[in-house]
Amino acid sequence: MNHCILLFFQFCKFSVLCFGGGYMLIPLLTAEFVDREQVLTMSEFGNLLSVAQVTPGPVGLNTATYVGYVNEGFFGSLAASLGLVVPTIVIGCSAAAGINRWKDTFLVNGMLKGTRLAAVALIMFAVTIFFGMSIFTQTIPWEALGACLKFERPVLPDGFSVSPAGMLICGVTVVLMLKTKLPTTVLLLGSAAAGALLASWF
Amino acid sequence: MEMEIQTLSRARRLLLLYCSFFRITALVVGGGLAMLPVIEEIFVVKHKLLTREELLDMTALTQTVPGIIAINSAVYIGMKIGGVPGALAAAAGAVTPPFTVILIIASLFPRLDPKNRYLLGVFAGIRACVTGMILVTGCRMFRRTVKSRLECAVVLVFFVLALMKVSPALLILAAVPFGWCYVWWQTRRMSQAEQASDGGTSAGASASVDPSSETHEDGGRGK
Repeated sequence: MNHCILLFFQFCKFSVLCFGGGYMLIPLLTAEFVDREQVLTMSEFGNLLSVAQVTPGPVGLNTATYVGYVNEGFFGSLAASLGLVVPTIVIGCSAAAGINRWKDTFLVNGMLKGTRLAAVALIMFAVTIFFGMSIFTQTIPWEALGACLKFERPVLPDGFSVSPAGMLICGVTVVLMLKTKLPTTVLLLGSAAAGALLASWF
Repeated sequence: MEMEIQTLSRARRLLLLYCSFFRITALVVGGGLAMLPVIEEIFVVKHKLLTREELLDMTALTQTVPGIIAINSAVYIGMKIGGVPGALAAAAGAVTPPFTVILIIASLFPRLDPKNRYLLGVFAGIRACVTGMILVTGCRMFRRTVKSRLECAVVLVFFVLALMKVSPALLILAAVPFGWCYVWWQTRRMSQAEQASDGGTSAGASASVDPSSETHEDGGRGK
């Protein structure tokens, strides 16, 4: 029970820090549950995100419910979803009245400017996390890259290689998103089918 | 339009909010901004409880306040249509379907460690697709947000700090005072440039740079 209360407050924190939509949750969640508490491995987290992405409903909420379930079962999911929603309701109800008055004040403008820049950086960071789960077979070894910069021979971890199928699907998705207006549902279902097809070849 | 709102009783309005957001999150895959067309259809076109302008204002707002976009939209629309009870009804409606669906899925595969080759392939495919989607979203956000070389450098510093395992929560909190300093510095530089261009012609070059960066910022906010 104590753990559920802790989960609730953790997700309250994520909700308040989550500027710029559900993708911002990815770095916050991996830092907390993969790196620090180690209740999930990176590949489990990747599978969980895939499920959250294809299940109807907002990705952030789906992920929260799932992470809560992995932690503490039913009450864990309840605590996690409520944690994500309660701060929004509190902020929403108190801000809806005054937001037009505060919109152009120095404090709000400065805060938005700063958090937006941080949000862009954290989304770029989320992209590198995802590279490690799709285009490469493991988390990107930044230490090896650092060694390259110091003109030393880099040591690659075991089992680190490029996944051709992942690279292909990712590339096609980027091109389709930039060139066409296909809905994301079509892209996701297409990639799922392509993934199953390519898995039978490689 | 006022008439329409009057004809719906308070309880009916709350029920409408709950059911609409239940339907939206139960059917729309992808969440957040993908919900927008459905929201427009239900609340603007069908029930005429919101105007298009209000919806547009709300879209900008839900992307600036913290929290996931879907819940933000539910809370702000609920607030507009039914006050605080409306916000609660809309949020409850938005949470119910994903909560139940994910609970069912999560209890079906316990720790999500499938051995089936094709199922793994499906997951790998979706992950690769999401990678592409985040990449495009990230690039669009970068283009919309970052307006000068200094801001680009700041983003890079934050990015490298995140790679060095500095907690993301800490980075966002640190960004707030930085934003205040940055905006203060920008406005001060602008007023100085104005004074300089009032006083003489020598500062013309720097003064001509600042207004342009200001219009860029306005353009960014407009979107």
